[in-house]
Amino acid sequence: MSTVERTHTLTDAVLAELAGIVGPANLLVSDGDVEPYARDATPLFRARPDAVVLPTDTAQVSAVLALATRAGFPVIPRGGGSNLAAMTVAERGGVVMVLTRMNQIREISSDELLAVVQPGVTTAELADAAAAKGLLYAPDPGSRTVSTVAGNVATCAGGLRGLKYGVTRNYVLGLEAVLPTGEVIRTGSRLWKDVAGYDLTRLLTGSEGTLAVITEVTVALLPMPATVGTGVAYFDSLADAGTAVARIIGLGVLPATLEFLDNRCINAVEDSNHLGLDRTAGALLLFGDDGPDTHVATSLDRMAATCDVVGARAVTRARDVVESDALMAARRCSLPALARLAPITMLEDVTVPRPLLARMVDTIDTIAAQHHVVCATFGHAGDGNLHPTIVFDPHDGDARHRAEAAFDKVFHAAMDLGGTITGEHGIGAAKRPWMAARLGEDQLALLRRVKSAFDPAGILNPGKLGS
Amino acid sequence: MTTTLDRIRITSGSGGPRRERDTDPGAAQRGRAEGLTYPGRMATTRGSTDDLGGSAPGPADRAQVLAALREHLPEQAVLTDHDLVQGYRTDRAMFCPAGMPLAVVLARETAHVQHALRVASRFGLPVVPQGARSGLSGAANAIEGGLVVSTEKMTEVLELDVANRFVVTQPGVLNAELSRHVEAAGLFYPPDPSSWEFCSIGGNLGTNSGGLCCVKYGVTADYVLGLEVVLASGEVLRTGRRTVKGVAGYDLTRLFVGSEGTLGIITEATLALRPAARRPRTAAALFASGRAAAEAVAAVVAGGHQPSLLEIMDSTTLRAASDYLRADLPADAAAMLLWQCDTGEGAEAEVRAIGAVVQGCGGEVVEAADQAEADLLLAARRCVLLALERLGTTLIDDVCVPRSRLGELIDGVARIAAERSLVIGVVGHAGDGNMHPTVVFDSRDAEQTAAALASFDDVMALGLELGGTITGEHGVGVLKREWLAREVGPVGLRVHRDLKRALDPAGILNPGKVFSLAD
Repeated sequence: MSTVERTHTLTDAVLAELAGIVGPANLLVSDGDVEPYARDATPLFRARPDAVVLPTDTAQVSAVLALATRAGFPVIPRGGGSNLAAMTVAERGGVVMVLTRMNQIREISSDELLAVVQPGVTTAELADAAAAKGLLYAPDPGSRTVSTVAGNVATCAGGLRGLKYGVTRNYVLGLEAVLPTGEVIRTGSRLWKDVAGYDLTRLLTGSEGTLAVITEVTVALLPMPATVGTGVAYFDSLADAGTAVARIIGLGVLPATLEFLDNRCINAVEDSNHLGLDRTAGALLLFGDDGPDTHVATSLDRMAATCDVVGARAVTRARDVVESDALMAARRCSLPALARLAPITMLEDVTVPRPLLARMVDTIDTIAAQHHVVCATFGHAGDGNLHPTIVFDPHDGDARHRAEAAFDKVFHAAMDLGGTITGEHGIGAAKRPWMAARLGEDQLALLRRVKSAFDPAGILNPGKLGS
Repeated sequence: MTTTLDRIRITSGSGGPRRERDTDPGAAQRGRAEGLTYPGRMATTRGSTDDLGGSAPGPADRAQVLAALREHLPEQAVLTDHDLVQGYRTDRAMFCPAGMPLAVVLARETAHVQHALRVASRFGLPVVPQGARSGLSGAANAIEGGLVVSTEKMTEVLELDVANRFVVTQPGVLNAELSRHVEAAGLFYPPDPSSWEFCSIGGNLGTNSGGLCCVKYGVTADYVLGLEVVLASGEVLRTGRRTVKGVAGYDLTRLFVGSEGTLGIITEATLALRPAARRPRTAAALFASGRAAAEAVAAVVAGGHQPSLLEIMDSTTLRAASDYLRADLPADAAAMLLWQCDTGEGAEAEVRAIGAVVQGCGGEVVEAADQAEADLLLAARRCVLLALERLGTTLIDDVCVPRSRLGELIDGVARIAAERSLVIGVVGHAGDGNMHPTVVFDSRDAEQTAAALASFDDVMALGLELGGTITGEHGVGVLKREWLAREVGPVGLRVHRDLKRALDPAGILNPGKVFSLAD
C-alpha cells in the first residue's frame, strides 16, 4: 500500500561506521537478515530497510542517531514489531533500530511502587516480574507477550483494563530518551507528582518514534488486587449488550473488564477453540472486576443483575480463577480465531462515545454488507473502543479494495459520531490518510512544528504520524 | 488500636461536604494584599521584570493598543483604571516580580481571547494568561507594559455528560464549583488543590494542579480529555477527544497542561469524571518524631495499601491549625498522619489495616468517631497555609521526593531550620511524597528574610539530592526558574525553548516564566 519513494541508500562508509558503533554482529544488511524487519504486524505494508541495527546500550543509540543526523538517513525505532499501524515500516529506506537487545529489568521497587526497565523488555516480562513482587503493571495490550514496554510507550498502548486503569500514558513516570542529535535527555522522574517544566514524558508517549528514541522507561506499579472475578452474559443483540453496558456504567460501577464479541466473533472463536459459547447469541459480554473480595462480589452481583434486567439470555459467573481465565480466553483469542478465516486479517481500531457503541457496530455491519466484506467486531465496551476486523483473500478480485473502501467509511462514521480513528493502535503510516480529517489542518501544522522542534533534520521515523 | 478520638477535643463544629476545605472568603484577598504591600518586596525579588521581556510602550503606542483592543472587545472587558489593574498584577507567590500591565482583558468568550492575542501579536506585547491568581509561583504575575488576559469571567459549565462521564467547562469556573456541579449528578472530579474554593479550572490546567486526592486518584493531567486553546497567533486549536481512549497525533493536550500559560491560553476543557466516591473513613496517628511518621508512610505504601488520602502535619503546623480553627488539636506530638479510605464496604477494614501498619511504626492511632471529627481533622490539614499566614510572612515550598525518602526530607528540613534559626512548618501529601515545607518569618527583618530565602533554596537542593523535584504541583513560574534549569539540565532546557519557539515564535505568551527565553 505504501507509495512513498525510497530516498535513501547507505554508503559503504556509513555502513562501516554503523558496524563500528554497534559491532558487526549487531548490524544486519543482507536480504535474508533484513527481511524480518521489512514488516511489522500490519498487513499489506512492507519496505526493506537499508540496514538494521540492534544497539545494546544508550551510548550506541546515541552514536547511531548522531551519525544519522550527520549523514541524513532515516532511523526507524522498533520494539517487538507488533504494532498494527505500519509504524515501524521503513517506507523511505534507512535504518531500522531494533531495541530488543536492551532488555534488562533494572528495578522493581515495592517501596516506591515503580519499575525501571530497558526499552526491549516485553510487557508480559514486566508484568510477571511485578506480579512476583505482588505488584500490578496495569496496561495489558493484546500483544503483551511480544510487544515491548518502550513500544507500548511510543504507541500509548491500551488494553483490556482501560476503563478502570487507564492506558500506558497513565503509568509512565519518566523516560530516558535520545534526541536525533544524539543528546540524551531524562524526562519526568521517579515521582508520583512532578510539574517541573513541560510534560515531555507525555509528549513522547504516543509519539510513535518520531521525536526521540526511548532508551529507558520508569513506570508506576499498583498493589496487586486481592482477587479477580469474571462473568459472561449472552444477549439477543448487540444493542441489548450496549444497553447493559450503559446501565452498568450508570450504576457507578467501574469494572476492570467489560468486553464484547459480536455474533461473527463468537462463531469464529467457537470454531477454533470450542469453548461451548452460544453460537446463536447476537453478542457476548464479558464482565469482571478486581480488588478486595467484598468489592468484587458486590461489583459482579450488580453487573450480573443488570444484564438480567436488560434481558440477557444467560448470565454465568466463573467460580474460580481457572474458569475466569477460560472466559477471558474467549476474548483474547478473538483475533487469532478470525485470522484463521482468510489469509489477510485487517484489524482496525476506532473509538466512539460509549453510549453510541451499539449504533457504531450496526453502522459497521451496514458498511460491511454494502462493500461485500466479511467483518467481525469485538472490543472494549467499557471505553467505547471497537476492533472491527475484515478478513479476505487477496487473490479474490478486488477484495482488498473493498476492504479498504469499507474501512474508509468506518473511520468517517466513527468521526461523525464524535469518535476517533484510533483508540490505541496509533496512526503510523496506515492511518495517515485520515489524519487531516480527524485533527484538521491547523492541528496537523502544529504537530509538524513540534516535530521540527525536536527533529529539524527529519531523520526520526519520517512520514509517520503525519510528520 | 484506640478507636476514639479522645485526644482531639472539638471546640468548633465543622460540618459540610466531604471535601470541605477552607472557605474563608477573605483569605485570598488578605494573602494578595500582604504580598503587594510587603516592604522591600521588589528589592529582594528573584530577578526583575526586565527578565520577563516587558517594556513600557510610549504614550502613542499605548493609545493605539487600547484602541485596537476596544475595536472588538466590549467596553467593560478592557480594564485600564490604575486601581482596578492593580488587583490583577500578582498571584499569591512571594518574592516574585510583577510589572504594571498596560491593560487587563477580562475575556467573556474565546473570541475575546483571540482578539487580545492578535492585538498583542501585532504590537509585540507580552501577554500573561491569568485565572484566579491563587498560584504560588508568580506564573500569573503581570509583565510591565504588557497585557493580562484573564479568563475569570468565563464561568460557565457548558455540558455535563453523565453517560460518558465527562464535563465541558470554561476556564473561569472555580474548582469547588465544578466539583459540586458534577457531584449533584452523582459524579466526582478528583483533583482538589487546597485552594479549591478560590482557584479556577483554567489555572489548575495551567499548573497541572494536584491536591489531597493524588495518592489514589492522580493529578489534573490524568483527567483532561481535550482542550480548546488559543495560540499566540490568535488561532483556535482543539486538542484531544471526548472518548476514554484516543491516540491520534502527539499528545498536545498534555503538553498544554502544566505549561503555565507559555504555549497557549486554554479557553475550554473537557474533563473526565469518575463515579461518586463513597464516603470515606478517616483515621489519624500521632508520632514522637517526624521521621517515625515518614517511615510509617513508606511502610503503608510498601504494604500495598491504597488510601484515598494520606497527609502529614508536623507540630508547628498542628499548633497553627489548632489556633486557627480554635480547636484543641494535639500540640505535643511531633507529627500527625491522617488517612482516609473510600472503598465503601471495605473502607473500615482498610483504615484499620493501615492503622496496624502505622502502629507498628510507633504511631498512636485514633479513628474518627463521627463525621464531625473526621471533618475537623481534614479542616486542620486544609487550613495550614492560611493558619501559618497569620503567624508571619510565609514562603511555601513544594518539593516531591520518592516516598521511601520522606524521612530524609523531614530530617533535612529540620536541620535547615535549625541551621538558619527559622521556623519551617512541614505539611504535605505524604502518600505521594509531595511536601510543602513552609518558612514562617518576619518580613520586616532583613536578616530573617534573607535567611528565609536561603532556606527555600536549601530545601530545593535537598529535594533534588534525594532524587526529587523542585515542584510537585505548584509549578515553576518565576520563583523557581533558575532551579528548573538546574533540574532539567542544558539539553532539557534547550528542548523547552525549541518547543516554546515552535508554538509561540514571537515569544509573546508569558515570556520569561518557567524558563528564560534567552540561551
